[in-house]
Amino acid sequence: MNAPATPDAASTGPEAAAPATREPAVVFRGLTKEFDGLVAVAGVDLVVPRGQICGYLGPNGAGKTTTVKMATGMLRPTSGTALIEGFDIGERPLEAKARIGVVPETGALYENLTPREYLSLVGHLYHLDQHEAETKASTFLELFGIADSAGRTMRSFSRGMKQKVLISAALLHNPDVLFLDEPLSGLDANTALVLKELLRELASQGKTVFYCSHVLEVVEKVCDRIVILMNGEIIADGNVDELKNMTEAVSLEGVFSELTSTGDLPDIVRAFSESVTGSKGE
Amino acid sequence: MGGHKGEAADREHVTGAGRAGAGENAVDWRQLRALLTAGIKLDVRTSRAGVGRGKVPPFVIALMTYAVMGLLLAVGLRPQGDLFVYSLFTISAAMFMTALAVIMEYVTIVAHPDDFQILAHRPVSSRTYFWAKLGNLLFYVTPIALALTLPAAIFGGFFLEAGARFSVFHVLGGLVACVSTSAAIVLLYTAALKLVSYQRFTSIITYVHSGATLVLVMAYFLLPRMIEEDPQLLSLTRGPWVYVAPPAWYAGTVEFLSGIASPQGTALFLMAAISSVAVVAAAMNTISLEYSRRISELMSSSVEEDVSADGKPRRRPFFRLGLISLGTGAERAGYVLMDAYMRRDRKLRARVYPAFGLPLAVYATALIRGDLHSPFVASPDGGPVALQEIMGLYCIFVSLFFASALTQSEEWKASWIFHVAPLGDASAVLQGARRLVVWRYLVPFFILLFVLLCFAMPVLGAATFVLMILPLCLAAFAILTLAAPHMPMSQEIERGRQARQIAFFMLLGVTLVPCLIVLQLLMQEFPRAVGPILAGLWLSAWGAERGVRALLRRRLAREEYAG
Repeated sequence: MNAPATPDAASTGPEAAAPATREPAVVFRGLTKEFDGLVAVAGVDLVVPRGQICGYLGPNGAGKTTTVKMATGMLRPTSGTALIEGFDIGERPLEAKARIGVVPETGALYENLTPREYLSLVGHLYHLDQHEAETKASTFLELFGIADSAGRTMRSFSRGMKQKVLISAALLHNPDVLFLDEPLSGLDANTALVLKELLRELASQGKTVFYCSHVLEVVEKVCDRIVILMNGEIIADGNVDELKNMTEAVSLEGVFSELTSTGDLPDIVRAFSESVTGSKGE
Repeated sequence: MGGHKGEAADREHVTGAGRAGAGENAVDWRQLRALLTAGIKLDVRTSRAGVGRGKVPPFVIALMTYAVMGLLLAVGLRPQGDLFVYSLFTISAAMFMTALAVIMEYVTIVAHPDDFQILAHRPVSSRTYFWAKLGNLLFYVTPIALALTLPAAIFGGFFLEAGARFSVFHVLGGLVACVSTSAAIVLLYTAALKLVSYQRFTSIITYVHSGATLVLVMAYFLLPRMIEEDPQLLSLTRGPWVYVAPPAWYAGTVEFLSGIASPQGTALFLMAAISSVAVVAAAMNTISLEYSRRISELMSSSVEEDVSADGKPRRRPFFRLGLISLGTGAERAGYVLMDAYMRRDRKLRARVYPAFGLPLAVYATALIRGDLHSPFVASPDGGPVALQEIMGLYCIFVSLFFASALTQSEEWKASWIFHVAPLGDASAVLQGARRLVVWRYLVPFFILLFVLLCFAMPVLGAATFVLMILPLCLAAFAILTLAAPHMPMSQEIERGRQARQIAFFMLLGVTLVPCLIVLQLLMQEFPRAVGPILAGLWLSAWGAERGVRALLRRRLAREEYAG
């Protein structure tokens, strides 16, 4: 493993020290988070090798976003550790964070900034050379087709335009590991296609992608491996074919439903329908 | 079949089709109850935002502070022994504090930004909406009014031997006065919206906030001093002027209802009753979802910027001056982020700009009254406290507004970026934002103050006064940052916080003003000590900054994302 970089120096940046280590890109060991006694993530153990696109699925409230928040240093685990490129996010946060790019589920960004200003802010935070950051930002905005709006504040932006800025911000510092939480949210079909291909391309270059989503078709097409979380615990882990064999379902949707549904789907649909219309179905 | 009839009625209710006959003037009591309940829950929860379990909510702390203020005022007025003067001062103080609180929290109480988005597409009549808003306003104002007037009412009833009847009517009079004041603030905004074009109003809304504060403060300081100075006014607290001073109407009402009848008391009671009904009715009729949309829209919209030919915003010299003093990228990030928000975010501006209205109002009042004097000479009226000391206090108070505004934002969720970025010293981002406040606002403000003071005293005196107050302001800014040690704009906006700050500040004044007096007395007695005194103050400011920086570094290293 490389000697750890100094905290404030630009050497924490991935460009400065592409890790020579053979450590897996992401390692969770007994990762646990409790909120006021409620266990959101319960001892997750996971190893994601370099160059892999790992889909992280689960029903609402399963603990996906909490896992991402712990892995990216936004929350401290109650117990357990998360290692990014061999660096413990709790013990060596700067080295770990310098190597990750994040697109959060909330899509939160400073809407009173222009995209250019926001990316400049991000460039400062990652200690990028200002000129390099500006050039890269312009290129990203151009490629995403929002260069014309680069000088406007993002308050008036559509969800998709904001998402493009968030993705640009996540890629700006050339991270080794990407944590993407519903990255296609609001994106038009063409941009979504570009992003899916881009992820494949980045993975082929050794980048690792941790991909959280509810859009199972996309996960099925993009991810090399799928991990399913339920009530804070991993209940399935494998590639699409392995999961299908495990459950004898014909699609990832079927696998997901079989593993995580708490009731019979047709029954739930019927009960909903009756409740909405106030009448008994046939 | 009954079932069919009920289903049809339900369907009508849900779709709103059945409301065509009821029209916009009907109040849907079920909706009203739901809106009131939701509003109260939101009020309570917003005021508890960021407060841990078992801790006292900020709004409760504000109320306790108001109660202490009310009691201190009542104790101070006891020697007067005159019920009318007693009520006049206590009720005018309650009206003043209520007006400030409503101005500070206007957008969240009267015209909530989310109302239009959430309710506009639902079948809610304007009448139902503004009754719900009236309920919310009462829910917010009543505790403030009670906290301010109840101690004074009890104290007055007991120590002035005015009886229980006086106490009851003092509380009621104060409550009605405070509600009417809130309604008057609503009308003020409506009038401003009507007087100028919508576009123009969008650019002056922040200044309306500051202007309202300025007028209020001036009225608050001028009225009592006029009474105090003019023996005629003091003796005739029942002269013609009482008909143009709203607090006097309510004071007269309290006296009238307490059983002290006089033609003037009757007239004041009628004026209070008629004006209260009129102002509340008028204000409530202006509140509608459309009004809410317009207010929230203009508060949410970005400020038009002064841009150069290449489309970049024009930066003021002080911005660049501050920028070159920054060391790391994280500091620059905090600096430019805060700069962008201070330039564009109307709500942020509306929260901090009134801070400048306070000292400028006292300056104007002191200038009119000839109360400004060089720190090297005694105050003109020979008394220990002149308006100048109060102005100095308000200048220090400016830092309190900024310290609070630094960490709270509607876009607090975007602060995740600071937690995932590799920051060796997370406090550097906050430090950058704080530098922006110092260089872009505090330093220019004190330069302006120096220029203004030069109109009323020698240049050396003005410079000494500014050099004495500025380090205290900087030290206060550093120390107050510790009250909410978070990343910039990383916390949800906490309802009632500014009201609490105002109350806190008023109490703080009790301790700070004597310090300012002692410093000036020392300068008057020992002119040679001016240099060491100023050096000591600047050294203290520097020490406070260093100490706070070290504490912030440790505190923010452990900070978790609030989302």
